[in-house]
Amino acid sequence: MYDVIIVGGGIIGSSIAWQLSKKNQKVLVLERNDSASGSAGATDGVVGYHTKKPGVQLDLAVQSIEMFRHLQEELGPEIDIEFEEDCGGMQPVENQEQWDLLAGIVEEQRKSGVDIHMISAEEACKLEPNLAKDIMGALYCAKSCGVNPINLTFAYRKAAEKLGAEYKNSAAVAEFLIEGGRCVGVKTAAGEEFRAPVVVNSCGSWAGKVAALAGLDMPIKPRKGQLAITEPIGKYMTAMLQCANYNVIKFRPESIKDQTILKLGASLSIAQTKDGGVEIGATREFVGYEEENTFEAIDTMMKRAARFFPALKDVSVIRFFSGFRPYTPDGLPLLGEVKTLPGFYMAAGHEGDGIAMSPITGKLIAEMIVDGKPSYNIDAFSPNRFLK
Amino acid sequence: MDNGLLICRCQEVTEAEIKAAIADGATTVDGVKRRTRAGMGLCQGKTCGRLVQQMITRQTGQNPAEVLPMKSRMPARPVKISSFGGNE
Repeated sequence: MYDVIIVGGGIIGSSIAWQLSKKNQKVLVLERNDSASGSAGATDGVVGYHTKKPGVQLDLAVQSIEMFRHLQEELGPEIDIEFEEDCGGMQPVENQEQWDLLAGIVEEQRKSGVDIHMISAEEACKLEPNLAKDIMGALYCAKSCGVNPINLTFAYRKAAEKLGAEYKNSAAVAEFLIEGGRCVGVKTAAGEEFRAPVVVNSCGSWAGKVAALAGLDMPIKPRKGQLAITEPIGKYMTAMLQCANYNVIKFRPESIKDQTILKLGASLSIAQTKDGGVEIGATREFVGYEEENTFEAIDTMMKRAARFFPALKDVSVIRFFSGFRPYTPDGLPLLGEVKTLPGFYMAAGHEGDGIAMSPITGKLIAEMIVDGKPSYNIDAFSPNRFLK
Repeated sequence: MDNGLLICRCQEVTEAEIKAAIADGATTVDGVKRRTRAGMGLCQGKTCGRLVQQMITRQTGQNPAEVLPMKSRMPARPVKISSFGGNE
């Protein structure tokens, strides 16, 4: 009855559902809770080049961000995804060591053909007048963008549903149906069976647990990110801004000496939403699925925010929250069919890049399923790299 | 104008928008919040949370006890950033 069953109706699953529906596939999406109830509902909206790992991940991001530039048109006007085209991405640097580390990463990132470069403190403060003046300089990428991740998730979902995709909320999958060595469907916790020749696991931070239900060992672990949102204020900043530690923690963790920063994976990531609230994050912590906010993390993040944007000290936080990011050991997502279980696809493990990578992930997974191969080579992201 | 009635004052979300969100598949207060922004404002749903809960119960026929309130998070009231580590 269905061509494809997607397990996980979040931002990745809904992007895939939309792309498959455009290719006239009959799609069923089974969602354990509700769309955007996981990672996309608890994160910032950075759609940046400058935060991507140099190499294949950034190459893929370039394709994805290109799609963002026409995404609102394609999805339709019903839901405003609040895309901020070319709002810029910046990472202020505090000392020579950070400058050297970041400049080294930038050199590698530029190989993907993106214009990311180091700028002086004066230039940085001219672009962001509220930024603290006592910085050494900054990394800057004028072409980085932003989006509202919750709205984007629902926009994918709505567009998919309009083309006939069927969604079931509160429909957790309990088992996968395997016949003759192939995955042929799923059984929900409520005991309902659904069959399709292709099943996709797009369960984000829960994708490792869900893959285990099919007997697969896929190394995706939840990594907690804590954030804060302030009361709405007038126009305060333009760029998607992170402190230099953000990229250093992401790509050169071995060079961080402060044990608290290393344990919390704490760096500043800050941007103003369309609503006027300033979103402040973030941490990268391995604490299982424990989702409460901690004073230690809040203290570190608030201190970093006021250090780079001093006027924020008089602004109030209205909510702290947290979300899980699907971590993988090599920092790359798992995209494609698992060769030991034909019919079973993985589309998860984007860690902090899932919002930005959602358009291209949907497109390429849909092409793999329907056309037999993607229009852009993603062998480097095959889940088979983790098969023992 | 009955459907122009504001349920969430902070984010100016109307009764009609909340009904549409429930019709769209939201079965929790958080589900309505993510679709409409109701409860995302300055008071964090202190005013509209219970109203939204009742509307979900009425529209979906769910048992009121099963419609969970919004997830409660710190801080209980807005707190200045300088109250944390920020004033050093």
